[in-house]
Amino acid sequence: MLQLSGLTKTYGDQPGVDRVDLAAPSGSRTVIVGPSGSGKTTLLRLIAGFETPDAGNITLDGRPLDTVPPHQRNIAYVAQEGALFPHMSVAENIGFAIPRQASNRESRIDTLLARVGLSAAMKSRRPHELSGGQQQRVALARALAQQPALMLLDEPFSALDTGLREAMRDMVEAVLREAGIASILVTHDQSEALAFADHLVVMRDARIADAGQPQRLYEQPIDIETAKFLGETIIFEAAIRGGVADTPLGPLAVDHSDTAKATILVRPEQVRIAENGTLARILHSSYRGAARRLELECQSAGHFSIDVPAATSLTQGDSVCLAVNGRGHVFRSR
Amino acid sequence: MTKYLPLLAGAFAALGFIAPVVAQQDAITVYNAQHESLAQEWATAFTEETGIPVILRQGSDLEVANQILQEGANSPADVFLTENSPGMALVDKAGLFEPLPADLLAQVPAEFRPENGNWTGIAARSTVFAYNKDKLTEADLPKTMAELADPKWQGRWAASPSGADFQAIVAAYLALEGEEATLSWLKGMAANAVIVRGNRAALAATNNGEVDGALIYHYYWFGDQAGTKENSDKAALHYFGNEDPGAFVSISGGGVLASSQHKEEALAFLSFITGKGQDVLRDGTSFEYAVGVDHASNPALPPLADLGAPKIDPSQLDNAKAAELMTEAGLL
Amino acid sequence: MAIGEVIEAQRPRTLRVPRGGSHSAIFLAAGITGLLSLLPLLFVLYVAVTSGWDTIADLVLRPKVAALLLNTAALLLLVLPLSATLAVACAWLIERTDLPLARLWSWLMVAPLALPAFVHSYAWSAFAPRFHGLGAAVLVSILAYLPFVYLPVAAQLRRLDPALEETAQSMGKAPLAVFFRIVLPQLRLAILGGGLLIGLHLLAEYGLFVLTRFDTFATVIVDQFQSVYNGPSANLLGGVLVLLCLGLLGLETGLRGDERYARVGTGAARQRRRVMLGRWKWPALALLTAFALLSLAVPILTLSRWLIAGGAEIWRLDFILPALGQTATLAFAGAALTTLAALPMAWLTVRAPSRMQKLLEAAHSYVGALPGVIIALALVTVTVNVALPLYQTIATLLFAYALMFLPRALVGLRTSIAQAPVELERAALSLGRKPVSAIWHTTVRLAAPGALASAALVGLGITTELTATLMLAPNGTRTLAMRFWSYTSELDFAAAAPYALLMIVLSIPLVVLLHAKADRADQA
Repeated sequence: MLQLSGLTKTYGDQPGVDRVDLAAPSGSRTVIVGPSGSGKTTLLRLIAGFETPDAGNITLDGRPLDTVPPHQRNIAYVAQEGALFPHMSVAENIGFAIPRQASNRESRIDTLLARVGLSAAMKSRRPHELSGGQQQRVALARALAQQPALMLLDEPFSALDTGLREAMRDMVEAVLREAGIASILVTHDQSEALAFADHLVVMRDARIADAGQPQRLYEQPIDIETAKFLGETIIFEAAIRGGVADTPLGPLAVDHSDTAKATILVRPEQVRIAENGTLARILHSSYRGAARRLELECQSAGHFSIDVPAATSLTQGDSVCLAVNGRGHVFRSR
Repeated sequence: MTKYLPLLAGAFAALGFIAPVVAQQDAITVYNAQHESLAQEWATAFTEETGIPVILRQGSDLEVANQILQEGANSPADVFLTENSPGMALVDKAGLFEPLPADLLAQVPAEFRPENGNWTGIAARSTVFAYNKDKLTEADLPKTMAELADPKWQGRWAASPSGADFQAIVAAYLALEGEEATLSWLKGMAANAVIVRGNRAALAATNNGEVDGALIYHYYWFGDQAGTKENSDKAALHYFGNEDPGAFVSISGGGVLASSQHKEEALAFLSFITGKGQDVLRDGTSFEYAVGVDHASNPALPPLADLGAPKIDPSQLDNAKAAELMTEAGLL
Repeated sequence: MAIGEVIEAQRPRTLRVPRGGSHSAIFLAAGITGLLSLLPLLFVLYVAVTSGWDTIADLVLRPKVAALLLNTAALLLLVLPLSATLAVACAWLIERTDLPLARLWSWLMVAPLALPAFVHSYAWSAFAPRFHGLGAAVLVSILAYLPFVYLPVAAQLRRLDPALEETAQSMGKAPLAVFFRIVLPQLRLAILGGGLLIGLHLLAEYGLFVLTRFDTFATVIVDQFQSVYNGPSANLLGGVLVLLCLGLLGLETGLRGDERYARVGTGAARQRRRVMLGRWKWPALALLTAFALLSLAVPILTLSRWLIAGGAEIWRLDFILPALGQTATLAFAGAALTTLAALPMAWLTVRAPSRMQKLLEAAHSYVGALPGVIIALALVTVTVNVALPLYQTIATLLFAYALMFLPRALVGLRTSIAQAPVELERAALSLGRKPVSAIWHTTVRLAAPGALASAALVGLGITTELTATLMLAPNGTRTLAMRFWSYTSELDFAAAAPYALLMIVLSIPLVVLLHAKADRADQA
């Protein structure tokens, strides 16, 4: 269990991390997501011990880490591009944290290689002979070899191609789950964050904006910025009466008590084309293979886009009726 | 800029090629192994008097002598000046000198020039043992140069065997004492002497007490005394005398190359040096002995005639053999 | 081998031009330069072959040569490890810690390059006349040559990805272990390159070792030259010296292997955190201060002392001005010739790499490893025997300079040509220009600033060159270095002082250029 409380780090007059509280249970997969400059990498470096906090403290399984140097924390760190040691072979990289005299050193290296899906033939390769994905796999194996209490991953997939990125993400997730190692992953890619996390933390301007289960954050974000950061939004103001909001898209059940004026979030994928309902005009229709994206103009709800089955015959200029599935989310604060 | 780069390069290169050619038109080229400052004084005075420009090429005795041998008939040199005789003897043996006219030879007494008259003496210097007055009293001084090969002198004296000066002293030792004695003395020297480069460095090592004494030529001490005394204030000179090899007086030589294209001017230059130019030795700061007939040396110097130097025909000094023996003893 | 090459470590990216007959003229030009570069080597081989075994046995297999080998080995074995250690320590302190005034220190570390090695030893022999022999030779060598290994090490330290060290730390390695297992191995190429450069200088240097009274092959060869001109002994010792140089080159190549320690990946290196020195700040400052005192304060104070003691008398303008003029002429002409000679090879390396090109480039590069004394010996012998019209001409001296400084010019040209887009050449070709003209008007134009910088490096090298100049200079030539040396060898330190001062002033641009180059290297 990793616990951060009141963690603060300032660079000059630029706050890097401002009064951050966070708990990451053992075996959990925490993802810290935020735009660049939000302080997420600083947070990671504080946990690793590469930076010293100005205030607050960090405990790992009850042990305060304030005065513990990085090499005694047993926290693994996987850098953006893997940071493989260029002067060592793949096997030497993976074996870096395994004592030379360990009798099962070789077999452990083999096991780790297999676990990250690399063949034993790779052992004698040098890092510059590997592809980006292979480098990341080796970096992961190397981090696993130290049997860490916690693994930190700093934008580990950002340098990879889109297709490879998803496969790697799933592989890493599976490996960490099997090994039962708690991890904290930092990314600026919200879909990656949502897919990887069982605990999601959104950072903005050096502070934690919202934290919790990914689904809760997506559906019921704490504020508009978080909502927009995690996905596309349709936002409007409406009065709530009897648990139902009177919205431009028709009456909508919401998760809030009655009020005269509330700000309500609906995700575009909740909107569907119906027999009757609010009228909207198709501004633009573009074919996306699996789906067709319609850019709509709805007099009272503004512009937004929705995906419909590609086979639709709707074209630009047509008018359609819209309805909303599920419930709307009312922002508690603004 | 790049457009002009090759142009610029060409201009400079052309300048480089032309400059020496133009200069050589009416100038004489002197291959000089004497001290640059002395030769420069002679050259400047000569040009002033005759209007003939002089180009100096600086080197050491045997370097230049061997260079002339290599260049042979194509040598650009008109005149060759040395500090010691062996370099002259080498060029003479190869038959590259123009025999000198009698009137020119007559300006220098016979004892300071070779019998064959192919070259002449222009100055002289005496071998001395410079010693540190704080470390040696007169009673401790070596009586002969041979004594310095004795183990009791181990690490106590300095010399510059790589220089032509010292090699001339060795050649004299060889001429006086023979090959066997010379080699054994050189081996003793190799064991005893602190090896430095240059007579001045040997004097400095004596003066600062690193060694008790040094085998050098006299004028280094006088020159330093006349200047800052930086390297000689604690040092004094000991003349061996008694026709000991250590009292050897080395003749600096001058000759005109047979291949010279400017023989007349070259002879005029040599005649000037052995005549009027000898006054430079009396008045200047070189402190080398004048050898011209009726020309006095610097008054600070003890008279050359009183030094008890051994008699050697300068043309008999065999530097090649000396260098060979020194190489064998590990000094070169 | 040149300092620029060591700093840059990574060769510029090469862009292949479609093969064809179009650059045969360039190939021919590079081929001629390459063949001429082989001249000194052929000379040494010729001497070895014609001398016969008996002469070789007499002149090479003797105690003096054994003593010289011992001296050389002692010098290399002491100077190289000490310089490497000191350079790594200083570079680490300056680049990686919170040491105050880091910027100033990084300049002070490079500043000794403004003093030619023989000026360093001039200062020391005037400052401490009784300090000589191996100790003095080692100390003065380190002071004079440390920047050669400091510069590439510092550049490489700045280039290293900080994530490597952080990752190693997170894997349970203490800072000291991280330094030795992660940082040091990646400085290997920089240390080897800089070490080779120092080693070659140790083998080639003449003035420094004469003044510290320490015999090396170079000093004894010059002694022999001054005793018997280009006699068999000088030539054969030259052969031994060439073997030592080539041995050093081979050793470095062998140790380097074909490793590549570049960053893996493309991301920009993060600003790194500096290590807090804490109470270690004072010993660190003491170390750097000591180096600055020994390498800069001693020479500057000694020189000032002689300049003041000498007064107005030593400023013999009738000697100094011609020396300055001749030095400048030689430097300009030599730099232009060297740059032009290196141009075809540099272009081929970048635009048309091939096996033949690699061979040619090796011929261009090895010659820079040869001491000036060897090149001079070779040229004296060749000109006096078979090319007499060239004997003792400026042309021969400039040719010697071109051979000695060819690699220096090549490095700079290669980098700047690689930065000029090949598309421009193609565009010019498609507009109907002939190949050489197309290259001249596009790539050469664009590479001009870089070419000028490397030409300047060559010119500065010529300004302070002593050995080859002494042996090859035409009649009447007296450069600054020659005048300086002539006074210094007569221990007339005061009269030598103005020449030392001028050479230092002229060398300051060298320091600025090299420092700037190292600054840029980490952005490459």
